[in-house]
Amino acid sequence: MSALLLALLLQATPAPTATPAAETTPTPAAESASPAPEHPAAEAEGHAAGAATPASPEAHAPEAGGHAAAEGAEHAESPADIIFHHVMDGPMFGGAVKSKHLLYLFLVALLVIAIAQLSVRSYRGGHVPKGLGAAVESLVLFIRDEVAEPNIGHGEGGKWTPLLCSFFFFILMAALIGLLPFSATTTGNISVTLGLAAISFAAQQWAGISKYGLAGHFHNLVPPGMPVLLLPIMIPVEILGMFTKPFALTIRLFANMLAGHMVITTLLLLISLMGQLHWLAGAAMTPISIVLAVFIMLLELLVAFIQAYIFTLLTAIFIGMYAHPAH
Amino acid sequence: MDPKGLAYLGAGIGAGLAIIGGGAGIGRLAAAALEGIARQPNAVADIRGAMIVAAGLIEGATFFALIVTILLAIK
Repeated sequence: MSALLLALLLQATPAPTATPAAETTPTPAAESASPAPEHPAAEAEGHAAGAATPASPEAHAPEAGGHAAAEGAEHAESPADIIFHHVMDGPMFGGAVKSKHLLYLFLVALLVIAIAQLSVRSYRGGHVPKGLGAAVESLVLFIRDEVAEPNIGHGEGGKWTPLLCSFFFFILMAALIGLLPFSATTTGNISVTLGLAAISFAAQQWAGISKYGLAGHFHNLVPPGMPVLLLPIMIPVEILGMFTKPFALTIRLFANMLAGHMVITTLLLLISLMGQLHWLAGAAMTPISIVLAVFIMLLELLVAFIQAYIFTLLTAIFIGMYAHPAH
Repeated sequence: MDPKGLAYLGAGIGAGLAIIGGGAGIGRLAAAALEGIARQPNAVADIRGAMIVAAGLIEGATFFALIVTILLAIK
């Protein structure tokens, strides 16, 4: 993915420089032990000029399309810095775009809308849908019949299916787009997942309030037939539960997306770290790291589907809990 | 005892403990799922679906702990 560029970054850095990227979390302190400061004199001169030379062992990397050259201008200091620079939010195109994740949020949303429009097109004229329409239809039917109907039940699954489909397709597309080179995973930003969970929270509350009214919704929180003595415990627990559910959704999605990309970046970082010791070690590390990184990327594909499904499923379950309590 | 050193130590130990819990939980889940499939092979699809969902939830809990360790390591 970025083996070549990581090698260039690490080896072309003599002095510590604060990362100019505006990040959502502060840049970690650069004093952590890293191989880069241990070889300042020997490597700095040689590599500042001929940065292409140590890149030849890493030239095996086919995915070394890497990140944009605009990001090569920033000098990351330690491995932790590099990892966080790649997985955290930051500007793109040299500052023209303030936030990668925000840009990709809108891109993925447009992509989902485009896919939906394109698949509806194959339904025109009453034809049996083919191609993209059939694929999307099978997923939508899966969500309606396996996720919405069983969990919300009582014939209301169809009403909530559009929302659940939006969640599912958005999370799936965001994860898949994030696997491409030069891109960022928008759901790897906790603000984005928090927004999704906020919508899920609003949907859950709406499900209860629209059916039972505001007071009725809170009345439904405690199961019927509960001894009065337990109420002081049950009410705070249920209210707290109302908020921990979306919080869990947020953290689960965010951590899954973040962890996957961190692992990939770390594995590829190992190439240049080994290359710091000796170019032969770097060359030997390259095929191992690349195989592992490809494997982890395949795992990420699976995780993308699973996390999208789990977010959608849990939202459906929670909506069902509030729309049809005590069933 | 440098607080930064303690933080890194805590992060490392925390990551190890987190994976112990997560790995043990998912291992038990996998064992139960495989036993269920062995008992009734025609229920494979249902069991597989339930297993994936449960694995995702357990992973979510593991990742909570992981986020805490990462925060320790970078701040």
